[in-house]
Amino acid sequence: MEGPLLELKKVSKRFGGLWANREVSFKVFSGEVLGLIGPNGAGKTTLFNVITGFLRPDSGQILFAGQDITGWPPDKVCRAGIARTFQLVRVFRGLSVFENVLIGALLRNPKPKAAAELTRQLIELTGLRPWAEELVDGLPIAVKKRVELARALATGPKLLLLDEVMAGLNPKERQEAVELVRRLKSELKVTVLMVEHVMEVLMPLSDRVVVLDFGVKIAEGRPEEVVKDPEVIKAYLGERYAAGFGSLGGL
Amino acid sequence: MVRFLGLGLLLLGLLLFPLAVELPYPQHVMILIFLYAMMGLAWNIIGGYAGQVSLGDATYFGIGAYTTAILLRELNLSPWVGMALGALNAVVVSLVLGYPCFRVRGHYFAIATIALNEIVATIFTNWDFVGGAVGIYVPILPESFVNLQFHRSKAPYYYIALGMLILVILLNLWLSRSRLGYYFRAIRADQDAARALGIDITRYKLIAYALTAAITSLGGSFYAMYVLYIDPTSVFAFSISLLVVLVAVLGGVGTVAGPILGSVILISLSEGTRVLLGGTGRALDVAIYGLLVMAISVLQPQGLVAWFRALRQPKAREVKVGRAPS
Repeated sequence: MEGPLLELKKVSKRFGGLWANREVSFKVFSGEVLGLIGPNGAGKTTLFNVITGFLRPDSGQILFAGQDITGWPPDKVCRAGIARTFQLVRVFRGLSVFENVLIGALLRNPKPKAAAELTRQLIELTGLRPWAEELVDGLPIAVKKRVELARALATGPKLLLLDEVMAGLNPKERQEAVELVRRLKSELKVTVLMVEHVMEVLMPLSDRVVVLDFGVKIAEGRPEEVVKDPEVIKAYLGERYAAGFGSLGGL
Repeated sequence: MVRFLGLGLLLLGLLLFPLAVELPYPQHVMILIFLYAMMGLAWNIIGGYAGQVSLGDATYFGIGAYTTAILLRELNLSPWVGMALGALNAVVVSLVLGYPCFRVRGHYFAIATIALNEIVATIFTNWDFVGGAVGIYVPILPESFVNLQFHRSKAPYYYIALGMLILVILLNLWLSRSRLGYYFRAIRADQDAARALGIDITRYKLIAYALTAAITSLGGSFYAMYVLYIDPTSVFAFSISLLVVLVAVLGGVGTVAGPILGSVILISLSEGTRVLLGGTGRALDVAIYGLLVMAISVLQPQGLVAWFRALRQPKAREVKVGRAPS
């Protein structure tokens, strides 16, 4: 078996006296969807920022495809093959949906013509065609999130980091987003590491889950095992419920 | 098709203008319009596309002017070579200033560009070799294109300025569809998102700023050969830095038509009021200037180009679709 695509070795990030991440270690293997869950303030987004180079870890090591990428700037991390979306959407305002995705596609296709071809394919795949020529500014949040996703995919990543892509979506939009992530996995063979707050969305999508609480990894494993873990239940619902409830997330 | 026909007619009109109007003053006004349109388009690259506000472009205008004038005086070097070397100097200075500024966020860059403008002006005012506050008279050479000097008519300067403007327009048009242009706009829209897409933002801001500096310097070189006399207050003036920004902002930031339109309006206005109101008009034309800029920024913050687009709404959509590369 080949080595992991991404490996975190005892990664810690501190803000003053607060440990946002404390000696977090886990591996992401090629082709899988790994879910990263945890209550508010568990350090999920911080960990994303550390992996993608927006924050420098205080200690620990991040290996991507066997290469040490700890402390690399975000653009270099992206060129190495890790793309991300943001928790609060950050589309390029003043540009059209097409142009937003095109900017991602230009990374590995410097010629606008070749990039436009890839852009068209991704716009098709993500169902953005009806909005392709519209400015992103006024589009609904669900569409903006898809623009961010298409844009990240356009950089040709081996690993895609999705930060709460389901947040702010209604149940129907959520279902469409789940389908989309499934398609990315099966059609594009992208490895996905996703942070999600909505557990019932994440569980059926993930091959494995890692649970963070107060910056520490408290559980790791298959979704159906993790939701039964007393530590996890305690983290989500508090001590009182840990004994009484069999599992979380209605599974 | 109609657009091409219109542009063709406009170009023809501009080419025939010096033949039809032989008076030097209207030709001079046109030359100023071309010059400021060109420098507005240069500012447009760093300030419009890349969204980094530079308030000291006169630095590069002066560098271009002085490099050309001094090389001609000291080494008898052709003004065209002086122009190229001036642009090179401007690029070097822009990189030295830009590198530390672009590594941090915030308004440091805008402030630093003003400071640089003042520092360079002060150095040149106190530097005897370049003529100090007295300035430099450009040596008079026989009239020729190679010497970039014409004494009997302004028409050749008119055509050279027009040619330079067209080249800069073409560069802007190319930029707006190239990877560079898209990266500049991504940086303006959201620097973190740009970085997450693999864009080295410091590098691309430096490229944008160097392009701006080089083109502005070409304008300065032309000015030196056109006026044949330069001093620190005429080429390093903060008012030049400001006018270049106004031209772009008034017309419409981040568009190709904007700075051209802005230059036509601002230069005709300032020249027009000066002629009409004579010697007493100096304060008044500045006042009208200020009023106009205030009116536009309140009524149409996107610039005049946005206003024109809104007037022809249905067509604007077609144009937009046509702009996507295919």
